[in-house]
Amino acid sequence: MNANKRYIPNGSFKFFAACLVGGGLASQTALAKDYLVTATRPNQVVMIDAEAREVIATHEIPNTSMGNSPGALVVSPDGNVVYVIHNKWESVSGIDLDSGEEVFRTELSSPGIRAKAPFAIDISPDGEELAVFVTPTRLLPGEYEVQDPYIAIFDTSSGLGAEPVRKLDTPRRVTSLLYSPDQERLYAFSWDMLVLDPQTGEQIGRHPWRSWDREGFGEPDTLAIWPQFEQSQQFATPYFIDYTDENGNTTNKAGVWSLDLENDTVRFSEFEESSVVLFSSAINPVRTNEAYTVYTQLTKVDIDTGELIKRIDLDHTYYNVNVSTDGSELYVGGTINDIAVYDSESLEKKGNIMVPGGDQVLTSLRVVRR
Amino acid sequence: MKHMKSMNAKAHKIEVAVETGEAEEVVAMNAVVGCSTTFDPGWEVDPFLGVAGLCQPMEADLYGCSDPCWWPAQVPDTMHTYPEWGEGHDRAMDDWSELESVFPK
Repeated sequence: MNANKRYIPNGSFKFFAACLVGGGLASQTALAKDYLVTATRPNQVVMIDAEAREVIATHEIPNTSMGNSPGALVVSPDGNVVYVIHNKWESVSGIDLDSGEEVFRTELSSPGIRAKAPFAIDISPDGEELAVFVTPTRLLPGEYEVQDPYIAIFDTSSGLGAEPVRKLDTPRRVTSLLYSPDQERLYAFSWDMLVLDPQTGEQIGRHPWRSWDREGFGEPDTLAIWPQFEQSQQFATPYFIDYTDENGNTTNKAGVWSLDLENDTVRFSEFEESSVVLFSSAINPVRTNEAYTVYTQLTKVDIDTGELIKRIDLDHTYYNVNVSTDGSELYVGGTINDIAVYDSESLEKKGNIMVPGGDQVLTSLRVVRR
Repeated sequence: MKHMKSMNAKAHKIEVAVETGEAEEVVAMNAVVGCSTTFDPGWEVDPFLGVAGLCQPMEADLYGCSDPCWWPAQVPDTMHTYPEWGEGHDRAMDDWSELESVFPK
């Protein structure tokens, strides 16, 4: 036996160990499921087993406004902590999704300064940094003095009482922040989609939006405040834009604009003359040509061809939509207290998930695999 | 803007700013978060000048309008001025009748 042991090559042992570890990871991956993470009035974060249509965790956000709803949220890449804007957009907390413990907190306002984080928040792919767009206002006895906005970068291990480790200069009206998967770029969706160096804030690129220069087209209009790009790594937002043809006739068109966060490439297409309101979009992670947009209707378009594939009426207005990891299901949420589930192929309704507490209002509906 | 007439001092400043190419300085007021900077048609009429594009039902959008101070003339601004307006009434579909009118302080 000893001789046999001696003749086991070291590399074989490493291979065996690697198989064990790899097998473990593989089985973990096989066991991993999709969870929906959202928030509800007045102060709750909620985790839902998407397949079981079951709420499995509800945690309170401590020390917050009880009359103003939780805002945008993002989940750590390991699926363990949700970071949520709350307290009239003046605080950000990290809540452990298993224990409910508040593991991170920052107060954006300070004496004499009222600072708000309207919507834009994202976490770096390594889970170590949190980026939040902040607009501060100095409160003087007789006037408000508008201060320059900034992107606050936090170390997620800062715990309670966190302060930014650095502040990046930024234009106003940033409604979305998005890290590229390799963490080399931080996108800030403002007047244009700006590409920033996440370390210095230096603008290293730009995808035109307001500065779009297309023959016959005006400036596009959108409301990109619902982050739901994590499944496809493609940011998408619906837009409306005026188009004047060669005869001088102007119509308003609706389209979907998308940014591939991995490859830094843009695609867009107009798919109809505007006929319904469109609020937010998500791209299917499997059939990446398919974009889904919600409001009072659920609309499915082929973003590559500009074809409107299907549109259905929803039971009520919803603000946000997200997609399962296998691309088969759509989760439609926001506004009141239910999340509707739809088949992504047929747009047939598959069910409703009632969320605990109050309305979801404007918060995000994120999908995390854990 | 030629078909619109400003009704107060702030609107007049915006009108002048557009004419003089200084609109961005006025747009900067978005730092105060929504209040009085949103000119979307919305609560009464949708972008197509009808009502089918309004949120359905109204309650689905109620806190979505009050909490970010989106249309402070139509619903109380719970961001700054009336932060307690919706307290204890967390499901608008059930609790709407308990929400009271507010009056300028």
